[in-house]
Amino acid sequence: MGGIVTRARVRVAITGLGLVTPLGNDTRTTWEALLTGRTGIAPIMTFDASGFPVRIGAEVKGFDPRTAIEDRKLLKFSNRYHGFALGAAEEAIRDAGIRPENASAARWGCVVGSGMMGIEFGELVEAHRRFAVDGHIAPERFGIDGIAGADPLVFCRSQANNGLSLLLQHFGIRGYATAVHTACASGGQAVGTAVKLIRRGTADFVLTGGFDSMLNPVGLAAFCLLGALSPDNDEPERASRPFDRTRNGFILGEGAGFLVLEEWNAACRRGARIYAELAGDGNSLSSYRITDSHPSGDGPIQAMAQALADARARPEDVDYLNAHGTSTPMNDRSECAAVRAVFGAHADRIAVSSTKSLMGHLIAGAGAVEAAICALAIHHGLLPLNANLHEPDPECDLDFVRDLPHPRRVGVAISNSFGFGGSNNCVILRNPEDVHI
Amino acid sequence: MSKKVMITGEGAICAAGKDPDEIWKAARAGRSAIDAIQQWDSSNWPSRLAGEIADLNPRALVEDRKLHKLVRRTDLLGLYAASKAIEDAGLIPHRDALDPAQADLFNDRTGVYVGGGGGAYQDQYDYFPLLTAARGDLGIFGRQLATTVNPMWLLRTLPNNVLCHIGIRYAFKGPNACITNHTASGMLAVAEAAAALRAGEADRAVAVGHDSPIEPETILYFHALGLLAADTIRPFDSARSGTLLGEGAAALVLETAAAARARGAKVRGEFLGSACVAEGEGLLSIRTDGDGLVRAIVLALEDAEIGPADVGMIVAHGNGTPPSDASEASAIRHIFGTKPPPTTAFKWAFGHLLAASGILDTVLALDSLRHGDVPGIATLRELDPACATLAVSTTAQPPRSGVALVLGRGFAGTNAALLLRASAD
Repeated sequence: MGGIVTRARVRVAITGLGLVTPLGNDTRTTWEALLTGRTGIAPIMTFDASGFPVRIGAEVKGFDPRTAIEDRKLLKFSNRYHGFALGAAEEAIRDAGIRPENASAARWGCVVGSGMMGIEFGELVEAHRRFAVDGHIAPERFGIDGIAGADPLVFCRSQANNGLSLLLQHFGIRGYATAVHTACASGGQAVGTAVKLIRRGTADFVLTGGFDSMLNPVGLAAFCLLGALSPDNDEPERASRPFDRTRNGFILGEGAGFLVLEEWNAACRRGARIYAELAGDGNSLSSYRITDSHPSGDGPIQAMAQALADARARPEDVDYLNAHGTSTPMNDRSECAAVRAVFGAHADRIAVSSTKSLMGHLIAGAGAVEAAICALAIHHGLLPLNANLHEPDPECDLDFVRDLPHPRRVGVAISNSFGFGGSNNCVILRNPEDVHI
Repeated sequence: MSKKVMITGEGAICAAGKDPDEIWKAARAGRSAIDAIQQWDSSNWPSRLAGEIADLNPRALVEDRKLHKLVRRTDLLGLYAASKAIEDAGLIPHRDALDPAQADLFNDRTGVYVGGGGGAYQDQYDYFPLLTAARGDLGIFGRQLATTVNPMWLLRTLPNNVLCHIGIRYAFKGPNACITNHTASGMLAVAEAAAALRAGEADRAVAVGHDSPIEPETILYFHALGLLAADTIRPFDSARSGTLLGEGAAALVLETAAAARARGAKVRGEFLGSACVAEGEGLLSIRTDGDGLVRAIVLALEDAEIGPADVGMIVAHGNGTPPSDASEASAIRHIFGTKPPPTTAFKWAFGHLLAASGILDTVLALDSLRHGDVPGIATLRELDPACATLAVSTTAQPPRSGVALVLGRGFAGTNAALLLRASAD
């Protein structure tokens, strides 16, 4: 059973889900792939990656935002990742069966985790061709020639809150709206912030999620330079193997995940299908190094402990953990140490999987996508696979989901997201059957 | 149950000065720090005015020289303002006198909330030499990558660098966020920090906003969109022609009243309430009726549990663009009628700091209340009849009470309002 509730509080229901991922362009296809172990990782096709040290990735395939969004003008203001966001958000809103209307628009909030890419690669190439052919921009010449090339559409698409703006405009949301970026924790932090908006009474409904695409020459280059990616170009389907002893880096993915959150009683009154309670959020800073996590798990430990307290759940209530599990040597070891520290002996009874093993790392989108996966695990009573774990690592001694199908009733699920820069987020979801008002 | 949130430290830097007092005094004296851009040869540029920090010396801002390779100009400004606020609040000497277990708890209960501008165009220019070498061939681009681009490129351009390095430097490990919501970012950092304290998630938090938008490509876009002023920012003036960009950062240390009292902190003021709403009509759209701002002010007053009559002064967004100022005046008239409290705006004195503007205005509002003196808008010549009900002046006015309302607006139709009170010294 869920945590013992001692006093009335505002509860938050998840009533809609939408996913655009390397595994599929909607929730159903993505979920089926996670249950059958179909990988989304393959050689990179959207640009010529043949000269890069890493030539594999987890691309969204065949997605056309026009199938989800009729407003062609809006799409002119969209980069690739904005299209993912609009598509996934539209699915989540339809799935929830409720959308902002004039009377409710001000009570709808929107919180997104958005990525760090600015202009698209083609625009950078164009700027280079026009103003910096010799490799360096000459500002004095740029001032004269640049005016003609200053395309307001490029400017709009490159603004850090443009994705937020497109969502607000498309859905007519007029309440609290914000965008956050804490690297790989962005999506989780967005969802955590959204929960708080409903608890505070700032909003009755929140559209929340994360979206990203760094699968372009600059984004791929950035991670190659850091040596963070798996170089297993010849075996893409095996390259992401979180918690395996031979793991050697993560796989860059792209996509979006969105959730519709509602105040619990209002959701019940309208007869909404509730996937899960979004019961708690924990949020900490590692304050250790920019990219490394502390070997002891310091930082993630506080995030998980806070999230449990916030959800009023006991460690022994937790049945499933969707791990951050990037498949880098350091992250996976440190995360396991943190889980051990928080859950003690009960850690052996928590089923753990990193869905990055199949869909790669969606960076700013990851936390929101993985929170949605936890909701699906609770709803269906099935656990997604931790693929490619063949050689156990003694330093990663948790109970990983290695076989399919894996039916299990999930009372409480938790999702971890840890970002470059040291931000750690943990969200906790509870089975709606265990919520007793 | 809501906890009182006190302000116990402040820091700021912009073209007008390197601490809140210096900046406030420059504005009070009617001095604008906006001048021709010096970072590059802007002599033949169609728009070349901005609030640049002259002779910016990175080593004077952030001592740790190793850090300079890992962060951008905007990050240095943010780290500087945050370090000044933390120093002003006396957090570190207090923590370091605690026993180790108490010090760990202090760190775990200290949050960090940052509002930043996101990525800059020139970050990606680091790839220009590689593009030249590749001559249009991505195969060459990939193969020559490692020998041409700084391997730390990604880390240097992370939008959450200020958050990361405040954490590493001070070992604070509490709740945190890096807000990238354009001009509202800094104010939302304060609002989210205050919300975390009220909810008991932390005992204290550092809130910082930083931005450095003065770069060639940004100036060109703002110019192309007709957003830049011809000569100077003239908020609410009939002849206003746009805004001008500035760079800088501001930071506040917020603490619950109980935590501030327990360590005998010097309390500078109190955060009373805030709100943020969207108009949601497009990235650059502004409703002429000021709808979003009206709703934000109403909700902030509700949050603070006070009424319009309690507000003693307003720091308006006043960015100098015709539609923003007119709709802002309309919103203020809607809430305060024909007798609004003394109103000012500060952007004319140092430019529009985008992500840092609202939090710098908050710091300056606190200074104004402390001095009992609302600085005038020195560049105002002839008040636009559409803004006629505003209580703006070219000279200083006394506030009507000890409560200030600060307004911030940004792309995506974001409107934020924040209320604070200064402590009697």
